[in-house]
Amino acid sequence: MMMTAKKKMRILYRTVLLLTCFVFVVSAAGASGPKEMKTIVIDPGHGGLDLGAKGRFGTLEKNITLAISFKLKTLIEQNLPYRVVLTRDKDIDLSLESRSAIANNNNAVLFISVHTNGSFRKKAQGSETFFMSLDASDEETRKLAYMENTSSELEKRIEDENKDEVKMILWDMAQSAYIKQSSQLAEIIQQQLSADPDLKTENRGIKQARFKVLTGVACPAVLVEVAFISNPEEEQKLVKDEFQRKIAEALYQGLKRYTRLFS
Amino acid sequence: MDRKKTVLFLILFFILAVLLVIFFKNTGRERIKKSGEIPRPAVSGGAPVATTMKTVKLFFLREEDGRLVAEDREIASDPSTVREAEETVAELIKGSKTGLVSSLPAETKLVQLFITKEGVAYVDFSKDLIEKHPSGSTAEISTVYSIVNSLAFNFKLIKKVFILVDGEEKETLGGHISLDHPFLPDYSLIVKE
Repeated sequence: MMMTAKKKMRILYRTVLLLTCFVFVVSAAGASGPKEMKTIVIDPGHGGLDLGAKGRFGTLEKNITLAISFKLKTLIEQNLPYRVVLTRDKDIDLSLESRSAIANNNNAVLFISVHTNGSFRKKAQGSETFFMSLDASDEETRKLAYMENTSSELEKRIEDENKDEVKMILWDMAQSAYIKQSSQLAEIIQQQLSADPDLKTENRGIKQARFKVLTGVACPAVLVEVAFISNPEEEQKLVKDEFQRKIAEALYQGLKRYTRLFS
Repeated sequence: MDRKKTVLFLILFFILAVLLVIFFKNTGRERIKKSGEIPRPAVSGGAPVATTMKTVKLFFLREEDGRLVAEDREIASDPSTVREAEETVAELIKGSKTGLVSSLPAETKLVQLFITKEGVAYVDFSKDLIEKHPSGSTAEISTVYSIVNSLAFNFKLIKKVFILVDGEEKETLGGHISLDHPFLPDYSLIVKE
């Protein structure tokens, strides 16, 4: 009699344990949907003491990029299942490295840096989208190949105290793994920027250059230069809320198309 | 014992003498080598009337489309590539004489220029290059490549150009293009004549 009671207790205990495990697993799986919402990081160019390019009428790039970024953030959050993080949401100084670090620390799946262009030429006008270039000179290619081959082995060997340093080195070239995707993202965004007839901004195409803010970003990343603030005509457009809204809309459409195509 | 000491002393003295002879012979050779290099500039320096000129191509922006256009400029010919390169950069800063757009702030000064054995020209500009820069990706790209192309195009010795400002490596000119590496020239930005 005593033995069977004990056995019963044991069986009961086991089922309860199994049930809790089951419930835990199921709830975790169920919750993973909304919890794992992917993140898009928007980087409003310049800020604080770094004014960016200046217009003839005194318009500052840092203010325009922030205004467009806010509008883009709202559009994404209202219409797409993505979380949006701005690298800055006020007029503050922020290093280029911090901007890419914010993207990586938030596990960003897309990174877009918003700028307005400047030129030595008065007539320069239009919009263009940049992505990272690896015009890797010989020693850089070698360094990169070395990193690719040895990074996993390196990490095993490196003691914990030095791990951050190694991570920083790896981050330093993180974008090199996403060049192709970044070029596709650039192409789609540039298409959207030139598709809107109301924007009337000349299509300057997509270009590659070694942008400091993109080098460390570990996801598809682009830098858009929307219109030239150095061109008085375009400066007048850039300060208008309606123009900013249309730019944000075009960028949003580009991001949306990219996410539909590639994720 | 005393004899042994004197023998040892003599041997040491002999070795010292031999070493001295070798030493002086070598320095003599070096002197000869150096003096062998000197004659060229000595000749050009000795005859100041014959300062030969050389044509270099400077790259400025075309107002219509922002592409780089070559403009011929005369500089004093010099046996030292560094001197010629310095003068080329100085002329580039002076700006165009044919109405093209300069992509360096007019206040900029060239501080120093040197070329490594590997063919990397380090060009150090005054801080005006950053402080007076209009910023913007397009402006930065044109500044970088008018400098890099103007140097690499004219001097075979120069393969790449490292841009320094105020004596040190800077992150960017205005927040865009990374200056942490030497640039290869990009002739695709040039208008072909």
